[in-house]
Amino acid sequence: MKKMIALLALGAACAGVCQPIYAADGGSIASKVEELGKIDSLTVTDMRAARRDNLLRIQFTVTNSSPKNEQLYYRFRWLDADGFTVWDEEPWKPEIIYGKQDKVLNAIAPTFKAVDFKLELQSPHNSTTSERTGAGDNPPYR
Amino acid sequence: MRFYRVLLLSAVLSLSMSACITTNSPTTGGKGVSYGDSKAVETVSTDLGSTDIQMTAEKMTMSMLQTPLLQDIIRQRGLLMASPVANKTSEYFDTKLITDTILTQLQKNGVRYVIAGDEMQNQTDELIRQNQTGLYKKSTAAKVGNMQGAQYRIDGSVSSIVKRDASVKDVYYKINMRLIEIESGIVEWSDEKEIRKTLRK
Repeated sequence: MKKMIALLALGAACAGVCQPIYAADGGSIASKVEELGKIDSLTVTDMRAARRDNLLRIQFTVTNSSPKNEQLYYRFRWLDADGFTVWDEEPWKPEIIYGKQDKVLNAIAPTFKAVDFKLELQSPHNSTTSERTGAGDNPPYR
Repeated sequence: MRFYRVLLLSAVLSLSMSACITTNSPTTGGKGVSYGDSKAVETVSTDLGSTDIQMTAEKMTMSMLQTPLLQDIIRQRGLLMASPVANKTSEYFDTKLITDTILTQLQKNGVRYVIAGDEMQNQTDELIRQNQTGLYKKSTAAKVGNMQGAQYRIDGSVSSIVKRDASVKDVYYKINMRLIEIESGIVEWSDEKEIRKTLRK
């Protein structure tokens, strides 16, 4: 249900409130989020995108279903209408999500050229399947 | 039966041996040096590091870009410059790392900026070389007196509060940036980035 509401919110942001964002793959949260491995207790439960002042703005909510604090690393990949990246690789950003917290995070595209995006997520407690090993074992910190 | 078993064993052995062959990587030098991810979250110490600089520059660029004034500056081909960012912490680090990244990211969006500070020496040296050494054709030499002044300058400061006890060191950084109209001195935009780093021994 929560996911459905989020989808509707993303759709509304794209259709009515502001200029539509390009979403070749349907505009669902799943199509925008790339988890490096399976993040067990952190979930993106809401995502909104709008174009204001000629810049793409993103707001997303990360929910921690665990009672323990969880470390999250995230970054965006900014894309043009054809899916090409229009900005350098962003630095990974660390964020603590407290136990049972819904944390709202914001981002603004660093370039006017960005019309689409991908959100990369990583957590040190990622679990990985045998088909995709390594990603969760190598968190983006040193 | 035994013959087939030996044949199978030798086939498996040769297959596994061929799988062990690897190609050499195009590297030279000792094994102790390797390249890492420049965008990785750096947690080597509580000192201001690459991640702090990158996150700060990114936040400031994004914040500045969305202000209508900066979008007007881009449209009107206005000029910016960066003043030295004051380092009010007890650590040494080159604060130009922050302003250089901000200016580079802004320029990718159409902002024009002029050089200032310690970069001026190279500029004046070249103007003098072209105009006073007699080595250059006068028609091609860059004229003195045509440099343009900026209308706005980026200014800022980095401050920190350090607290420690026997088991914990906690550092709070606050990086403040401003966009100031040079003629009037009016601060047209400002933003800040807060960072907390904790070391548990």
